[in-house]
Amino acid sequence: MNLLYAGTMTLGMGAILSIVLPVNRFRVGVNLVAQFLACAFVLTAVLPVLFGGEVLVSTLAWSYPVEQIDFEINSVSAFFLAFSLPMTFLGSIYAVGYMKNDIASKRHVGVHFALLAMVQISYLIIYSVQNSFAFLVGWEIAALSAWLLVIWDHRNQKIRFAGFNYLISTHLSLLFLVSAFTVVHGVTNSFQFADFVPFFQKPSIQRSIAFVLFLTSFGLKSAFFPFHTWLPRAHSAAPAHVSALMSGVIHKAGLFGIVKVILMMGEPELWMGWTLLAVSSISAFMGILYTLVQRDIKRLLGYSSTENVGIVGIGFGLGCLGLTLHQPTVAALGFGGGLLHILNHALFKCLLFYGAGSIYRFTHTIDLEKMGGLLKVMKWTGPLFLLGSLASAALPPFNAFISEFLIYAGLLQSAPELKIGQMALPLFAALLAFVGGLSAMSITRAFGLMFLGVPRAPEFAGDHSKENIWMIFPMVLHLIGIVIVGLVPMLALRLVQAPAGMMLGDKNITTEKWLGLMPASMLQSVTFVVLTFVAVLAVLLVARFMLLPKSNRRHVTWGCGYTLPNARMQYSGSSFSFPMVAVFRDILKFWIKEDLPNGVFPKDGSYSTNCVDSVEQSTFQFLNRGELIIHKGLSRIPESMGFSFGIGFVGLIVLVALVLCK
Amino acid sequence: MNIVLILFQLAIILAGPIYMIGIINRVKSLWAGRRGPRLNQSWFDLLRLLRKTPVYSVVTSWIFPLAPIVILASTITASLFVPLVPGFAPYSFTGDFVAFLYLLGLGKVFLMLGALDTGSAFEGMGASREATYAALAEPVIMLTLGTLILASGHMSFSDLVIPQTDAVTSVLIRIALAAVMFIVLLIETSRVPADDPTTHLELTMVHEVMILDHSGPELAIVQYAAGIKMVLLAGLISALLNPFSLEHLPVLAMVVSVTLIALVAVLVGLTESLTARLRFRAIPLFTFAAFLISMICLVLVHSSQGTVQ
Repeated sequence: MNLLYAGTMTLGMGAILSIVLPVNRFRVGVNLVAQFLACAFVLTAVLPVLFGGEVLVSTLAWSYPVEQIDFEINSVSAFFLAFSLPMTFLGSIYAVGYMKNDIASKRHVGVHFALLAMVQISYLIIYSVQNSFAFLVGWEIAALSAWLLVIWDHRNQKIRFAGFNYLISTHLSLLFLVSAFTVVHGVTNSFQFADFVPFFQKPSIQRSIAFVLFLTSFGLKSAFFPFHTWLPRAHSAAPAHVSALMSGVIHKAGLFGIVKVILMMGEPELWMGWTLLAVSSISAFMGILYTLVQRDIKRLLGYSSTENVGIVGIGFGLGCLGLTLHQPTVAALGFGGGLLHILNHALFKCLLFYGAGSIYRFTHTIDLEKMGGLLKVMKWTGPLFLLGSLASAALPPFNAFISEFLIYAGLLQSAPELKIGQMALPLFAALLAFVGGLSAMSITRAFGLMFLGVPRAPEFAGDHSKENIWMIFPMVLHLIGIVIVGLVPMLALRLVQAPAGMMLGDKNITTEKWLGLMPASMLQSVTFVVLTFVAVLAVLLVARFMLLPKSNRRHVTWGCGYTLPNARMQYSGSSFSFPMVAVFRDILKFWIKEDLPNGVFPKDGSYSTNCVDSVEQSTFQFLNRGELIIHKGLSRIPESMGFSFGIGFVGLIVLVALVLCK
Repeated sequence: MNIVLILFQLAIILAGPIYMIGIINRVKSLWAGRRGPRLNQSWFDLLRLLRKTPVYSVVTSWIFPLAPIVILASTITASLFVPLVPGFAPYSFTGDFVAFLYLLGLGKVFLMLGALDTGSAFEGMGASREATYAALAEPVIMLTLGTLILASGHMSFSDLVIPQTDAVTSVLIRIALAAVMFIVLLIETSRVPADDPTTHLELTMVHEVMILDHSGPELAIVQYAAGIKMVLLAGLISALLNPFSLEHLPVLAMVVSVTLIALVAVLVGLTESLTARLRFRAIPLFTFAAFLISMICLVLVHSSQGTVQ
């Protein structure tokens, strides 16, 4: 535990030093060293816990009304800390390359790095405290630092707008969280999580209310549909590494919250599992559907986060059903798959955002429709982005395939106890398969538009600054993680063994028992499959290039006989997604601007479509109308003196009565 | 016994693509009043292509020559789990069908990437359509498998397709699901009415337009992989309908299985001869029809189990 305090102190020192030191280079250097040391401290402390070691506990005395703050690093906290800190450190390394120009300029970059260190401190608080007050403080540190990181380029009005949008959403989340804690406090009269447990273990109306409030709050934080609207804006506005960390790491706190609530409940009610399952599948589906219509690569990746938290949520919902119905296999597959998917998502999503940032530095655009042919010039980013996007579509032999495999296996386990629900689970599996198909389509579209073909906007074709080693290095490390989880699923399963065991109610679960919960020999077989595929691929590659004719003969692409093709004749992103969009045109909302040529001597025409987020649009419309409604209501109130006096008098009486009754 | 079965599977999967295409073409020719090519004609076509020197588009990158190999590797790996006879697949484990689906998905992604790599509008269009129809077919397959899991209580491909009871509903459900898989086969392997492999116009193609720029060995590999995929799906249908089990009548089961695969090819040929292709907008509805059949089967399975308990 002392190591964790030391880590926190180091991070704090790093943050302060990077603000007070003079030169940008020093500020960044010191901060990176501090972050590295903190990571080393924290990992030495938490890794033993993750692999079944003793739970770390500690208590800090505090002033009234908190009195004391308990810290506990159990295996779940250890799991979250073990990937959050190193990944944020990698993000900071990436930032050195991404903000190269800022660091060289007069601007004080230390603040940015200090905020990154603050984010790390907030993880240490959120993932370890056992007290609702301290939890809220950690929550707020994370929210504010993330907000300040998002608006780094605050001179741009759009970025400020996205920042405020995020700030409001994250505080709505805080509002729900505070009300949830208030409900719990009303019953238990305590701020300590330890005292919440008895309340959470028995079904009651208050518990149901608290569950819904917690789910809403954490849903807002992790951007579940329909609470996702802030996310694409924020991700598109923030610097690439901030988007990566927000999507991959910081907002995993919401999922941690859900895990925490499930842990305290021990045995959720049936409707809770179904609710989580339903909400999550809608998230997964809507998230991936929206990725298909984005032009902005970072918005696209943002929507994909909504999809992936949805997949994690499906796992957790399934786990809850398993707990309720005493089906340890279903629960183990659900929680194991869900937790593993959290890690997997962090791995590939950070990689993809880093790739997007690298592309942005290269081409100075994030508009997919203006890119093309980058694979030939970006020797590192291209292949890394390809492998990352294959991973994000859960294709073998990469990491997300393993976690989704576990979730599928859980969804298709036959559980007669579910009665009518038994029919619903295959439907959820079908939905997940559809999401898989859509995400394959989406990544093909994104990768194809950016990296394949020829550059669509010739002005970007010539601007080749070299790829930056600071930016490539973290991407390579993430890729290594992706490949390891994909090729050695047993290791991945070992990572989530203790936390998933804890959620199953068995804190000291042994490896034999944990693997025994999985259907027999499933994972060895998956390993076998993955390795077989790699072997077959290698053999075929060798065979193709050794035995069959090769050539350097080149010719222009077949254009049906047309001899003057140009770059703009390539298939565009919106036409690529059109057939699928046409199927779901009732769900998606389009703004269409058309100025079609007509008449005998037509002038230039134009046609543009823009897919807007329907949730955001209806919220804004409602808010607009809301103002109108209030205005109308107010205008009905008579403006006479007597009426105002009467209202004021009634108000005063109520106030006095309240004071006296208390 | 196992060795024999593995060799049997290997033979079907390697030779199947040649002869299935042969049968389909023969049926179409006979129906049109022609004699038609030899049954093993595509074997010669493939050999000819393999010997040719490929020509690559100036636009393409290393993805283009890599893609066909990934497609073939994923299809071959996927063929390990598919039962051609009920109760046997070379490698089977709990949830192997997920690996099957996602391996095929990997192949599709690379097929589309190869198409997009040429920077051609036509190939982009083909990729877009392929992606759409593939994504729409995914939930149908998963739901069909989910229904079979509910019916059989097993979770691996080879056990899923073993008939559990001889009750009338069970037989009906198997026939209905075989029909669903047939629709999936037509969509996945780009056959009429979902796609027309012999159309002369790039604008109306799906699969063929994606490989416009492939030549020589690349073209051979892509076409062979597509053929293997057709054999796998046909094999699944034959395993679903095969009434004989390996335990009692192994030889008969194998013979019936081969016959059924050939019959599926005949059926594909007949469908191609007798129907016109659907409009692109109607294909999602076609898929949805298959989804609905699966869903009705799911309800039937569930209710029939309820009466047993």
